[in-house]
Amino acid sequence: MLRFFLTAAALVAPFSAAAAETVRFIACPIYRDADSGKKSGCWLSDDPATGTRYDVSLSPHKPDWNYAVMVEGTVSAVPSTPCGGTVLDAVRTSRLYDTPCTRHMLPAEGFPGRRFVLPKRNITPSSVARPVPPGPYAERVFPVYFEFDNDFLVYQYSDYLIEQASNWINAAHPKKLIVTGFAATQPEVISGRAMAEPADLAAQRAETIAETLRRLMPGIPIETAADTSGSETADKDADGLPDQSRRRVEIRALF
Amino acid sequence: MRKISLMVAGVAGAAVFGQLSAAAPERWWAPGEGRVFPASLDYANEHGTLRVLVDGGPMATKGHPFFEPLGANGRACVTCHQPSDAMSLSAASAARRWTETQGKDPLFAAIDGANCPSLPQDKRESHSLLIERGLFRIQLPWPVKQWNGKPVTPDFTIEVMRDPNGCNSGPNYGPGAGNISVYRRARPVANMKYLLAVGFPFDPKQGFALPRDPDDGSMMSGNIMGDNRAGNLRIQMEDAAHGHLQFAKGLNAKQIARIRDFEMRVYTAQQVSKQAGALDSMGAEGGPMKLKNSQPGALGSIGIPVWSEFAKWEKISPDDAKTLTPEQLAFRQSVARGARVFRDKMFLITDTAGINSRIGFGNPVRNSCVFCHNMSQMGNDVAPGQVDLGTTTMPFADPWRDLPLFRVTCLKAPHPHYGRVIYTMDPGFAMTTGRCADVGKITLQSMRGLAARAPYFSNGLAKDLRGIVDYYDRRYNIGYTEQEKQDLTNMMSAL
Repeated sequence: MLRFFLTAAALVAPFSAAAAETVRFIACPIYRDADSGKKSGCWLSDDPATGTRYDVSLSPHKPDWNYAVMVEGTVSAVPSTPCGGTVLDAVRTSRLYDTPCTRHMLPAEGFPGRRFVLPKRNITPSSVARPVPPGPYAERVFPVYFEFDNDFLVYQYSDYLIEQASNWINAAHPKKLIVTGFAATQPEVISGRAMAEPADLAAQRAETIAETLRRLMPGIPIETAADTSGSETADKDADGLPDQSRRRVEIRALF
Repeated sequence: MRKISLMVAGVAGAAVFGQLSAAAPERWWAPGEGRVFPASLDYANEHGTLRVLVDGGPMATKGHPFFEPLGANGRACVTCHQPSDAMSLSAASAARRWTETQGKDPLFAAIDGANCPSLPQDKRESHSLLIERGLFRIQLPWPVKQWNGKPVTPDFTIEVMRDPNGCNSGPNYGPGAGNISVYRRARPVANMKYLLAVGFPFDPKQGFALPRDPDDGSMMSGNIMGDNRAGNLRIQMEDAAHGHLQFAKGLNAKQIARIRDFEMRVYTAQQVSKQAGALDSMGAEGGPMKLKNSQPGALGSIGIPVWSEFAKWEKISPDDAKTLTPEQLAFRQSVARGARVFRDKMFLITDTAGINSRIGFGNPVRNSCVFCHNMSQMGNDVAPGQVDLGTTTMPFADPWRDLPLFRVTCLKAPHPHYGRVIYTMDPGFAMTTGRCADVGKITLQSMRGLAARAPYFSNGLAKDLRGIVDYYDRRYNIGYTEQEKQDLTNMMSAL
């Protein structure tokens, strides 16, 4: 029970005002053709308000050089040596498919990029037995996160969170699941553009996750709901990015 | 005379390499012959010798539904899944069969062995797509329907821009009759445990957990058919029995079980290379025995590297080298280098749905062949392998004048790489999902036994193994050196 309260408190508490510097802007991405092996190329983007070039390569869902991205990130103090830009970590780059960009590729110019390492949120093969999550098993909420204006599961991020949830649910045997989709529908001006998610995206996100849960756990009762308030949480898996936390689904296990 | 020549070639091969099993029988398996399928069967091809293993064999084929003519046109499954062709069908075999039978073989049945049933069936040119590129006509429902007949509302329209064969513009087989006709190669029916293997519970390309098998509730790999319209073998068999065998009665449960049993027991791979010799010698692990004995579904990047079967040939000892001819030694070294190039040669993958969208690897993303061809021992995709290489879709595809061309118009969001209007010779996976974002996606397939089943890609775009390398090189501007191209070609000939 204590665990539920702690989890719930984390999900509803807004981010601290004393958090590290965050940036949010819209710009075209630039690909730097650094080569330190697979997936080592760099993604850069320039904040139009300040002219600062940021290294956004650590985003779990990376840009498409044909489209603008909404960048949301925390300014890191680590040197810009891998790619040649101020490093954002954590960072998100939501592709804006309604905003075409001229594709642009820079040469490596001496920057090595980053040698690929498996993200911390990765799923082990199905052949590997999952440890049974420890109890107690009581009401609990599992968040899953999305890119802006999107209900697509982010590889090695959303899928990992869902699998963690399903492992726990399989062990806990709750009576039912309530899957609530959230969308950030309140317009906010970002780089001169009023950006808001459509209201029906909340329900769409809920249905996407519900369908995946039906496939992972056939037979478990699932209800869906939608919330367009765009409320923030302080969940750790939003990586300290308040706007990421507003684009989520909550899987609530009820007993 | 041809039969005698092949037999002689097989015997000569055995004398040289000492690796062949019993002398190869007649290459062509006609329906209802009632042969016994040996436990191990070898067939010569232009690159060496293919071996087919039946686990637990030999197996009687008399009365077996894979080998018996079931439907109205006299075909059996084996007609289009020939053991000599790695359980697929090469264009060369089709051409040979036309000559041998003057086009009377059931292989050339009007339903799909002709460019269109409406064409005069006694003329060779009416079957040119099968004879020259190994392509069968695949008639798909339009608008899209699921495997269970449920309608899907597509988010695109489709118009016929070019119809050289008359099927898509005529009254009986095209959109006017509720169909779209596309032309595809037969996929190999072997090494099936790998194609059914599930490595992870998610399909990262579609953004969902894997769907469940409607029959047994297990997760489905999504790697059986080119357009993933059948998620399990039962559905695939029923689709084929109806669409290719014209078996109106439909397969019964016992027949399905027997076909499944055979398909799960048959393994095939190249066993002997003409240039290198036995592919399982000096520490190499080529050939189908390794396939039979290995666990399927492993991701090469975190386990056994893809094509590490030939790793021992990277450093052949001086003593071993003395036992080889200079040509054999050079070819083995080339195969080993080819495996390295396959894994390690990085290039920028661009504008490829299934890789660069919607999944978030980035567009472009730097990686190598094993990014997608990632399953140990097989080289198919551990995840459902629906990827758009551009082999069927403009501007990347070659402009085949003998294939239909469709104009797809996306009604909702434009395709992320092609835009709102797409010109394609085969919409591929989109004909299963009804989504324009899936236009041109074709499921990656097994890479074993390639030497026996040219041409390659779903529409026969590459006439030989070198053609595969050349397509990738120009599609992704890879810049392979001539040596790398040759090494890749040689390596693929040894699979």
